[in-house]
Amino acid sequence: MTDTTIGQDRGQASIQVPRPAAEQSRTFDWTLLVWLLFAAILVLIVVNPILRLVWESVATEDGGLTLDNYVKAYSRTRYWQALINTVVMGLGTAALAAVLAVPLAWACVRTDMPGRGFVRLSVLAAFIIPPYLSAVGWVLLAGPNSGWLNKVWMALTGAPHGIFNIYSLAGLITIMGLHLFFFIFVFTSSALELVSSEMEDAANVLGAGPVKTAFKITLPLITPAIIGGLIIIFLQSIALFGVPAIIAIPARYPVVTTQLTEFFSNNRVDLAAAYALPLLLITMSLLGLQRWMLARKGFTVVGGKGGERRLVKLGAWRWVMFGYALLVSVLAVFMPLTVLIQAAFSKAWGRGFAFDNLTLSHVNFILFEHQGAVPALVRSILYAGTAAFAALALALVIAYIVKRNLLKGGQVLAFLCMAPFVIPGIILAIGFYAAYAPPPLALAGTALIIIVAFTTRLLPIAYQNSVAGLSSIHVEMEEAVRILGGGRWLAVRRVVAPLLKRSLVGAWILIFVPACQELSTAIFLSGPKNRVLSVLIFDFSEEGKFEQLAVLGGLLLIITVIIVAIGFRIVGRDFMLRRQ
Amino acid sequence: MKFTRKITRRQFGLGAAATSAGIVLPSAARADLSADAEKALYEAAKADSEVTWYDAHHHVELAELYGKAFNTKYPGVKVNVVRTTANIAYQRVAQEIKAGSLQCDVLSSTDISHSMDLKTKGLLEKFTPANAATVIPALQNADPDGFFHVTSTGTIAVTYNSGKVKPVDVPKKWTDLVDPKWKDQVSVGHPGFSGYVSIWVYEMDRLYGWQYFEKLKANNPQIGRSIQDTLTMLRSGERMVAAGSTSTAFESKVKGEPIDVAYQEDGTIVVVAPSCILKGAKKPNAAKLFMEFMSSPAASQIAVDAFGESIHAAIKPKAGLPLDQLKTIIAKPPLLLKAQPELKEKWRETFGV
Repeated sequence: MTDTTIGQDRGQASIQVPRPAAEQSRTFDWTLLVWLLFAAILVLIVVNPILRLVWESVATEDGGLTLDNYVKAYSRTRYWQALINTVVMGLGTAALAAVLAVPLAWACVRTDMPGRGFVRLSVLAAFIIPPYLSAVGWVLLAGPNSGWLNKVWMALTGAPHGIFNIYSLAGLITIMGLHLFFFIFVFTSSALELVSSEMEDAANVLGAGPVKTAFKITLPLITPAIIGGLIIIFLQSIALFGVPAIIAIPARYPVVTTQLTEFFSNNRVDLAAAYALPLLLITMSLLGLQRWMLARKGFTVVGGKGGERRLVKLGAWRWVMFGYALLVSVLAVFMPLTVLIQAAFSKAWGRGFAFDNLTLSHVNFILFEHQGAVPALVRSILYAGTAAFAALALALVIAYIVKRNLLKGGQVLAFLCMAPFVIPGIILAIGFYAAYAPPPLALAGTALIIIVAFTTRLLPIAYQNSVAGLSSIHVEMEEAVRILGGGRWLAVRRVVAPLLKRSLVGAWILIFVPACQELSTAIFLSGPKNRVLSVLIFDFSEEGKFEQLAVLGGLLLIITVIIVAIGFRIVGRDFMLRRQ
Repeated sequence: MKFTRKITRRQFGLGAAATSAGIVLPSAARADLSADAEKALYEAAKADSEVTWYDAHHHVELAELYGKAFNTKYPGVKVNVVRTTANIAYQRVAQEIKAGSLQCDVLSSTDISHSMDLKTKGLLEKFTPANAATVIPALQNADPDGFFHVTSTGTIAVTYNSGKVKPVDVPKKWTDLVDPKWKDQVSVGHPGFSGYVSIWVYEMDRLYGWQYFEKLKANNPQIGRSIQDTLTMLRSGERMVAAGSTSTAFESKVKGEPIDVAYQEDGTIVVVAPSCILKGAKKPNAAKLFMEFMSSPAASQIAVDAFGESIHAAIKPKAGLPLDQLKTIIAKPPLLLKAQPELKEKWRETFGV
């Protein structure tokens, strides 16, 4: 994830050092089998579900082919409206996220703003809080009549109505933007870390102030990173499932994911598949556009080493900047968390803080009475943890194959690793279900189906991190081993693995956190015995049981934070913000 | 009185029907689950060791209570409780059947048309619990062929926030909900998710035509998913009036919250909710035992303790008026089944979601 763009590995591809011919002919390199095995696994878990998805969309009951589903899936204006709404929502979210994240990233990396560590932690916290949980938080905050913010407003002004309505497009964008801005923050930060101060100094010498320098010099240099982040946020936001279910239905703002639930509830998986597949064209063309833009301009400044980096002195502005950062953290983290904590311990959250409104009954219910809650929590952790290991192992091997050119068609493998990224989870789930649920695999309702789904879904993050990690290891070091007579395996074991250890821990956490929150695939694959916490939370939201939901969400958060904190200890410093 | 035939369309004197059948003494003695039969079934169920129950009848705490009560009564047979809305439950079952990997053993829906549909497609196991004979006669034989049985009833009425709605303003007829004075103050669920709500939509459409919903739309209702969502909106003060489930509203009221129920002059909607065993259920004996349990007076007692309706005449509701003192409306399952898809589509066209 620290790489600034998706699939940006052209730079390294050119460093391929031809291997000595003698070595290749010496003996059969048995590791080749390992590479082939992993490549096969990749094809199996990525290509198979996607093909099944396509098949669902064109197959008739009796095994023939039809395009009828595509006609039907786009037969109503309502369906088109959902599509347009989704694009508007995605664009709005990406724009908001950029406004939130870019100044913060700049301030954290390049300025002397106070509290930079705190701001980074808040950004991480915003990412750790599942979006559907903050959606519920925002319902409690900005429900048009009962939200706290509106109550305060009405009390202060005597107005009969509140001013915020979370059940709206603006509400959707706010909630999503406040969660997803993490991505732009990370991308922009890592790009900023590579912009040398010398160029900014040149601008300063020529009379530009810090703000002008930031806009004229720094910003253009990190544009590719920002664009990469924007695209990712667009894609992530249109794929979110929980937030629209909680917000968009009351807002009467149908989006693609709510439309898909409609198809599902009519048991028209074929229509859902047909409705969703054209979306892939949008996402793929976006990624193509990004590649093209990056290829056209040579952003050579970003990517090199060297150059000195000093912090820009903001003077009094540092406090303004800090104020902004504080505002973002309050909106993204502290306000939703506060109301959720309040709800978790309230008899009725609508009544606000009052001693006679306090209760531990929800905690008691979730921990001791609800027979499904604690097992679901345990499953979430186990499945997410296992999936993170699996995705990382697979991604690392594939990245190694691609980087060291060990198999023909490495770029195809690289593409496959990134492919799950362009498919919204809820769509991917259709493919997973079709691929794994029926015999011969018959994985429906098992732990494995969820783990495989999470692994596939999060493979792109794993791959990006693996590529970034491997890029930091020059091939010379491995060659040293091999010149001294060691095989490929020895080189991997004794050189590559130890060097990667730290960055892998960071990557594991970056996979683990979203896997713990993952709802969109889980909702479709989850049965009674493999129900994860996100699905249970979703079921609670359906009934409007916000108090108990808050307890469940709190448990998930506590566990995630503990695991992330352990990660911090191992990695030493904040893993997500540094170029590995 | 046969469920499918004799019930008048507009009115359904549940309590009266029960009394005329003379429930107080005889039926229990007649044909409920004998101790021997129960023991035999329990032993067989133990071999299954568990049963998976998709439950849309109850809200989450109540579903858990049922699970617990069953586990306590029949140690060694564990019930996996999966509480969800009727449509999601139905969709999951359909999906499981399609994939050939059925997880659900017993399905308790609130949308009787789902059970009809599954039965028509030959996806249900024929089983009549002996305890079904103890149920209020009017509720027996919901399916004459014995594929599904009423295991719960509930009522839909206007529920409101009594702290905000003045007594004079309390809606008396369903049409009052669409009065412009309730603009921005109405809360409803979604027929695409909730079985209760879809029956309410069916009845409103039948009584007042689709204009009812056009007018409702003008009132800008808060649309949630489950019918329980509406109570959340009332409790928080987000909305003042709702088409809601009476049982949870009474429960809130008894807890001291500003919630109350208003039965409507044009009819309180009675939802009869069936349970059934899926064909090819992996735990058939445990499923049968669970069906017996759901049809037993003990199950009614649990419902009543949670302010719900009873399906046994001897067990009286804890709050609210007995149904025989109310004008009630109950839908005919075949008509419901036929009307549902179109109504849901109309709803989506009207409200956009």
